[in-house]
Amino acid sequence: MSYRLDRKLAGRGTGESQFRAELRAVACDGERQWYLAGDQELEVLTSDGRLVNRWATGRPGWSVAIDERQRIWVGEPGQIEIFSAQGQLEDTWRSTELFRLVTALAVTPEEVFVADAGSRWIHRFDSDRRLLNHIGDKHRKGGFHIPSGVLDFALDRDATLVVANPGMHRVERYDPDGTSRGHFGRFGQQDPAAFPGCCNPTNLALGPEGEIVVTEKAGPRLKIYDRDGVLSEVVADSATFDVACKNMDLAVDRDGSIGVIDTIALDLAVFEPKMKPGAISAEGVAP
Amino acid sequence: MSDRYTRRDVLEISARGVALVGLGGLGSLLAVKAHGDDAWWIDPGKCVNSRLGALGVEACQSCATECVLPLSAVRAVNDFASCGRCYICPAYFDIHSAVGPDGLPSKTLCPRDAIKREPIGWIDPDDPANNYYEYTIDESLCNGCGLCVMGCKEPAGLGSIKLEVRHDVCLACNRCSISTACPEDAYERLPTT
Repeated sequence: MSYRLDRKLAGRGTGESQFRAELRAVACDGERQWYLAGDQELEVLTSDGRLVNRWATGRPGWSVAIDERQRIWVGEPGQIEIFSAQGQLEDTWRSTELFRLVTALAVTPEEVFVADAGSRWIHRFDSDRRLLNHIGDKHRKGGFHIPSGVLDFALDRDATLVVANPGMHRVERYDPDGTSRGHFGRFGQQDPAAFPGCCNPTNLALGPEGEIVVTEKAGPRLKIYDRDGVLSEVVADSATFDVACKNMDLAVDRDGSIGVIDTIALDLAVFEPKMKPGAISAEGVAP
Repeated sequence: MSDRYTRRDVLEISARGVALVGLGGLGSLLAVKAHGDDAWWIDPGKCVNSRLGALGVEACQSCATECVLPLSAVRAVNDFASCGRCYICPAYFDIHSAVGPDGLPSKTLCPRDAIKREPIGWIDPDDPANNYYEYTIDESLCNGCGLCVMGCKEPAGLGSIKLEVRHDVCLACNRCSISTACPEDAYERLPTT
């Protein structure tokens, strides 16, 4: 499956769905709505970019996750805020020790995983918020190596954590108890399958089939790897994103549409799958 | 002789004190003046090698080529507090060079080999990527060319390396040739206070 840039949503400005200074995090729900955190606000957009809701968060949001009850979890410095689907603050979960900067979140009915860029670990909690264990604490470097200051991960369908470890140019897999399940990736500036520069990939998300979708900085790229770590496609590069972008958060919806934040243009670039070869649509049969 | 102070004594002592304080202040002022009260420095927000957003351009090497001294008074300085201690530092390696059998770029960036790379902490001999690295700049070799500064600039690096004027070396020329050549007006003369 290959992708094409379909549309750009939000953007820099003072319009009702635009951001003035910052856009840091994105998530999507089962209804294909986009949730964007920036300017110390959270906004909800329909798949095609119509503003559904927007409200202020207590602190700047660095990560967003949607749980099975459609509640919105926003990771912030020192805390996580939990909002109802309508944007009402339901709870604030504070920990100055464990949540120094929450840059990624995953919430299941049984567990919560919190990536803390301060400790460079992922914390695993049960549904009663009891700390079960850390992921990355046994790493020889004392945690994941994240020179750019963001720790990102995604939870696979089989409960494996897929983690970006940019300082080692790797994507790593872990069991929820922190046991390593291997990694792929190596440095390379010319080979598109490799990860370039000092520290890539910076961010990642998982596609519907478990494919690993990553973003890189300097120059910015969006790439897709299969579950075995084999490069499938370079979807976009600096022709699409501002060259100064870094820590480009991304999300994949249930249909495989990929939303990527341009941290300079403050927009969400949405990439849609091209029609599969042989597929039949109103336009005819795909070549 | 009485040990009591008269009103006149108190006034005289006070006047002497005020005069001494005044002389001290003047002395300090003259001392600053004698040592020069302004100096050349580089504004990192203007220097094209470190200015954010100036991407895809060649590093400016005027600081290395224009100084009247045989070895420029400008040096690259690494702020360790903001350095990522990366395995592959784009200021140390020429990251565009071919990858060698060790998985590292085969060439370094500094033309004078002024940057030293050392693993720090508890060293893993089996997996070099598993270590942190400290990058120190040998000021006796650095000529302030700025190649490493451009390599370290965000988003490629963390911007921990900047160019600085070494005032113990700088001749403080009135018409500094680097300042004249600087394409970005980043080389400025400013008060030291």
